[in-house]
Amino acid sequence: MTATPATVIQIAESVVAEINAGDFSKANLSAQRLYVPNFDLEDMKELRVTVVPREVEYLPLDRASNKYHATIDVAVQKKFSKGDAKEIDPLVFFVEELADYFRLKRLNSFVAARCVKVENSVLYSSEHWTQFNQFTSLLTLTFELAK
Amino acid sequence: MLHRGQSWLAEKLTKHASRNVVYQRDDVTVELPATIGKSEYEQDDGDGVITRAQVRDFLINTKDLLQSAIATWPRRGDRILETDGDTTFVYELMSIGNEPPWRYSDPFRVKLRIHTKLVDTIT
Repeated sequence: MTATPATVIQIAESVVAEINAGDFSKANLSAQRLYVPNFDLEDMKELRVTVVPREVEYLPLDRASNKYHATIDVAVQKKFSKGDAKEIDPLVFFVEELADYFRLKRLNSFVAARCVKVENSVLYSSEHWTQFNQFTSLLTLTFELAK
Repeated sequence: MLHRGQSWLAEKLTKHASRNVVYQRDDVTVELPATIGKSEYEQDDGDGVITRAQVRDFLINTKDLLQSAIATWPRRGDRILETDGDTTFVYELMSIGNEPPWRYSDPFRVKLRIHTKLVDTIT
């Protein structure tokens, strides 16, 4: 018997599915779910989208249930060559597209969960920029459901 | 006298401990002798997103680079191609920690120490 995955994992998997099926400026995406995004610089020539379950919060809703908050990180990464506007602007736009897509979104394959907060606190990592000539943006999605 | 000694040492290093590499800036490429200065592994886990890279330092005579078609000091984003048998390793100039992508290797500016990271392997 296969156990049902944890709620946060089901949410993360649904986010992966929606990104891969979505109609964004970047086509043929192959987002994947990982616990820790861990790549060699050599592998960053192509755009990488990684979905990471980060945090779960239980807030009392009533005597029997909780307001369940699942925080999911979406990392968008690509090695650049020049790092000029022509190269980077489309990546920033793509991150914004993802943010717009998930705003208040109910997940198609997990309709109980609704995205209540979208943050792009790391628009681009200056550390990865200077150390690896790499664009790394981190989008943080918070999904809410009663559980 | 020290300067002469450093130049002599640099010459010996180039003659006996270097291999030819291709230095590339956009479409301009030149072949230069380079000594491998350091080779190690670096990992950065900023913001929980880990990137790893093979780091390699190349020691190149300042004169060789400035008198080549490149004609200026190294720039971030330049590439060094090192061929080993059928495999070409492509390294890109990048900062290491708080250091810029290159610095002089000695007090007399005879050699450049160029910091790179592996970005591609062509077989």
